Amino acid sequence: MTDETTQPLIHFEGHRHLTTRLLLSTLTGRPIRISKIRSSSTNPGLTRYETNFIRLLDAVTNGAQIQFSMTGTTLVYRPGLITGSAEGLGAVGGVVRHEIPRECSRRGVSWWLVPLCLLAPFSKGNVNVVLHGEGCVTSSTPTGDVSVDTVRTAILPLYKNFGIDRNIELRVLKRSCCPAPGKGAGGEVQLVFGHQVRLPKTLHLLNPGRVKRIRGVAYAVGVSGSNNARMIETARGILNKFVPDTYIFSDVSPTPLIPSSSKSDPSGKSKGAVGFGLSLVAESSTNCLYSADVASPPQGGTTPEDAGKQCAYQLLEKISQGGCVEVTAVSTMLLLMAMGTEDVGRVVLGREVLGTEEAIQLGRDFKEFGFAGWGLRDKGEDAEGEVVVSVVGRGVGNVGRKVA
Amino acid sequence: ARAMHDRRRPYKTSNLARMMYDLTLSPAEVVSKWRGDAEVSEEEKEEEAEVFFRKSKIGDAANAEDRSIPILDYVALEEKFEDENTIEQLRSRFASGHMSGKGSD
Repeated sequence: MTDETTQPLIHFEGHRHLTTRLLLSTLTGRPIRISKIRSSSTNPGLTRYETNFIRLLDAVTNGAQIQFSMTGTTLVYRPGLITGSAEGLGAVGGVVRHEIPRECSRRGVSWWLVPLCLLAPFSKGNVNVVLHGEGCVTSSTPTGDVSVDTVRTAILPLYKNFGIDRNIELRVLKRSCCPAPGKGAGGEVQLVFGHQVRLPKTLHLLNPGRVKRIRGVAYAVGVSGSNNARMIETARGILNKFVPDTYIFSDVSPTPLIPSSSKSDPSGKSKGAVGFGLSLVAESSTNCLYSADVASPPQGGTTPEDAGKQCAYQLLEKISQGGCVEVTAVSTMLLLMAMGTEDVGRVVLGREVLGTEEAIQLGRDFKEFGFAGWGLRDKGEDAEGEVVVSVVGRGVGNVGRKVA
Repeated sequence: ARAMHDRRRPYKTSNLARMMYDLTLSPAEVVSKWRGDAEVSEEEKEEEAEVFFRKSKIGDAANAEDRSIPILDYVALEEKFEDENTIEQLRSRFASGHMSGKGSD
């Protein structure tokens, strides 16, 4: 890596894909400048959850420099070394405890977790982070974040394809649902990622296989467990005609208690948000995963039957899009491929999966960071089928482990 | 048949490869072009000019955030997956029971 002072800033605009860009910057060690962050919005600048994410980045790295403009519409980020949960750098007893305050409860905790998981294999030391606080929502949210169950069962197993499979655990310590505005959630999750690698393996995933089993988790937080039974019943009713091997776990947990912050009653506790939801994961014979996630909205008003039905149809839709990787996991997969050895990795994607704004912007952002462009070709002669995406790894890998 | 032939075929891989790194197009435009949606009509273009004056609508804010679960029309999906044809097509993606769609792999 060249001297930090000589590295030019890479410029980006807009608030979209903020986590991806910060992530790529941290992984490649290139400083970035993001301008025009919601500059035309009535509420300009970075939101609370975005600044909170930068705080988390700062906690697991050493030597990062972050500068905001007065209005928060411009951000300069100079990444540091990914140290993980190193003692003396924010970690106590080997664990980084990161609080997500109440103002951030619009996003689910997976919004923090998925990028954190991507940093973890390239960290110098182990990563052991507890995310907690009133803004920690473990269920899926209306803003489109998946639940922690999906991260655990559909995103983390993907790392196995890259030779990253040991000591990885995501514990749900306290469940919580998406709260109404102004209310707290109070969930708690712990990510233990103890398998750091020099370079991820090159991936060749060309056969999506056939879906052989469906697993899922139904969760009810602070509401009756019969909601779970009703969701499971409806979802199974739809899915059983496709896959007899369907099993959905049921998890009923009490509402998390949030310590109240009021001066008059310092020992008092208030209850977090209630709700229910369902996370489904389909696994194919070649270990490709497809996930679906539905949770009750904070304002309520949906029946568990609806949630179960929507989740089942969402899963079928994801499966019917084809390919080896579904929309939710595509950025994780492509990023790990790009970070791999200087070799061509290949993956089959469905056309609907590749033809999304996110995927295209991801390809462009990769190029900005100096990664090679993707190669696209049809799988077989059938032009209606899936697309083979070839990604050349850049061989950056783990900077902290480069010294032999 | 000719009309069918003349129409640019949607989802053609080479087209996407060409548009992917063409920075004059926004990702949204690339997607809609690749899908072969109707070209942006003049009317819409005019509307775009107007948008400048009435930006930041309420619906805009929700649209502009990053999502990992796509927004789906569940009513349409229910119809789609109640349909026998779709079910039969989808069956080849599953390793279950009788292999009706066998040989497609």
